[in-house]
Amino acid sequence: MRPRLLRLIVSFHTTTAAMAMERYCLENAVPGRLIPIPREITAGCGMAWSAPPEEKDTVLRAAEGGEIEIAGTYVLEI
Amino acid sequence: MENIIVDARGHQCPVPVVMTIKALEGVKGPCTVETHVDNETAVQNVTRLAGSRGFPVTSEKLAADHFVIYMQAPQPASGPSGEPRAEEIVCAPDRRGSTVVAVTTDSMGHGNEELGKTLMKGFLYALSQLEELPKTILFYNGGAKLTTEGSLSLEDLRSMEAQGVKILTCGTCLNFYGLTEKLAVGEVTNMYSIVETLAGADKIIKP
Repeated sequence: MRPRLLRLIVSFHTTTAAMAMERYCLENAVPGRLIPIPREITAGCGMAWSAPPEEKDTVLRAAEGGEIEIAGTYVLEI
Repeated sequence: MENIIVDARGHQCPVPVVMTIKALEGVKGPCTVETHVDNETAVQNVTRLAGSRGFPVTSEKLAADHFVIYMQAPQPASGPSGEPRAEEIVCAPDRRGSTVVAVTTDSMGHGNEELGKTLMKGFLYALSQLEELPKTILFYNGGAKLTTEGSLSLEDLRSMEAQGVKILTCGTCLNFYGLTEKLAVGEVTNMYSIVETLAGADKIIKP
């Protein structure tokens, strides 16, 4: 089995919001990265922000700072 | 934070895993453990150990026979009895299959270029998460930009390389884009090797 790690996953209503989140986070050195949204969250297609769970406050503040609407937050092993 | 170096080069599985477990047993607090090994299967097995304990892990290839796995242990990490858990000391078979992935552009699909770049990053991430990794990933034309400095996919590609996936980038393409000095992962290849790799593949994936 490949290693599975506990990660914070932030989902968005639109792909453009996910891409805006990536831009904002890279510019502001916010931890995490964009990944395809895990199947455990939705069977649909989309991108999500993945970060260490302990960075939740920083990530949520970044979304607020970038005026990016979040659809949901999850902590799961991926 | 404490940094522990385990040099397991010259040892075959399960010794690198056992040496890493022993090193983890001796730690008093959060630490980084660097395990140095000389083969890709050992990288896969030590990476699996980190995964079984939930530790963040990355790996990279330093030379043809020198790989390093970095794991971050947040706390003393031995099992309840202080003994390694039996399921951790496994010599799993090689994760590599015989698939070749041909990346011909830094953008996946046709349409919006920015979306295509986001999709390609997602593709390479998902590729690195496969249970059976590809044998080789070829990068040519615009795909060459993904293996060079500044690419956001380097972590995924380095991790796959350390597990034995060949990362090959077209030298003509690097030269054309002025990126010859900026290759950050894998090796440079030429058209003969590209054709031989494609011709010898059981299956080719072209994102």
